[in-house]
Amino acid sequence: MRRGYDVFIGLLFAATVALMPVALYLIFVNAPEEKVMGAVQKIFYFHVPIAAVTFLSVFVLLAGAAGYLWTRRAGWDHLSIASAEVGLVFCTLVLITGPIWAKPAWGVWWTWEAKLTTTLILWLLLAGILLSRAYASAPEQGARVASVLGVVAALDVPIVYKAVDWWRGNHPIVFGAGKTNPLAPGMLSALLVSMLVFVLLYALLVAARMRLAAQEDRLAAQEDAAWRSQ
Amino acid sequence: MKNYTFLFWGYLVVWAGLMAYFVVLGRKIANVARRLDSLEARTKGGDPTRTT
Repeated sequence: MRRGYDVFIGLLFAATVALMPVALYLIFVNAPEEKVMGAVQKIFYFHVPIAAVTFLSVFVLLAGAAGYLWTRRAGWDHLSIASAEVGLVFCTLVLITGPIWAKPAWGVWWTWEAKLTTTLILWLLLAGILLSRAYASAPEQGARVASVLGVVAALDVPIVYKAVDWWRGNHPIVFGAGKTNPLAPGMLSALLVSMLVFVLLYALLVAARMRLAAQEDRLAAQEDAAWRSQ
Repeated sequence: MKNYTFLFWGYLVVWAGLMAYFVVLGRKIANVARRLDSLEARTKGGDPTRTT
């Protein structure tokens, strides 16, 4: 079973590594430069997929939390922990790449507009989920608090997505209801392949983190058994 | 030129962040695996409390 899981992780790794240069070629060579912003617009091909994967990670962690509360099987809890941690990494990158683009585009690193503020709230919720697990007096209590925060984070995701529509702001809306696709063919293919690479990378990191969580459980159980038999 | 500098830092941050996390994760997995192997070896050896 563990061998099969390792093969799965290896395949994910191989697929990610194989597609990464394709994505880089499409972004840097094939995709045309945007007329107004020039080269700095190309951060879009990273920023948007990373943000999409952050949203995905919140829904996966919610599914893991719900699955654990329903079945009490450790695998679901491992999925929830892994997705929260990897989601926090991706959300951190969203909050770093956004300002790197905003400085040349808007002239400021950060504004307290709704889209950015709700994304920061999402980051705080993901950090809270991990902290509640790390510092809970009992694992069961930590899992419960993390599940509640997971629900709140999942409620925050559509707010982040629709923030510019609801409250306006400087953040560009590239895709949305009633909008025609504004991307040139070279831009769209670069975005889609980049999205695929980041989804694969997310799956790889979650699979590896789940493996770690399972090993930690096994180690704790064996250490406990060893001390009992002392 | 200024734009390319921003772009460079953006990409560097993304990949450095992801690779750093990947490396940390790999080291944690290796560390736990080593502790598991060590514990299993000690248990099989009949002395589960020995630390060295």
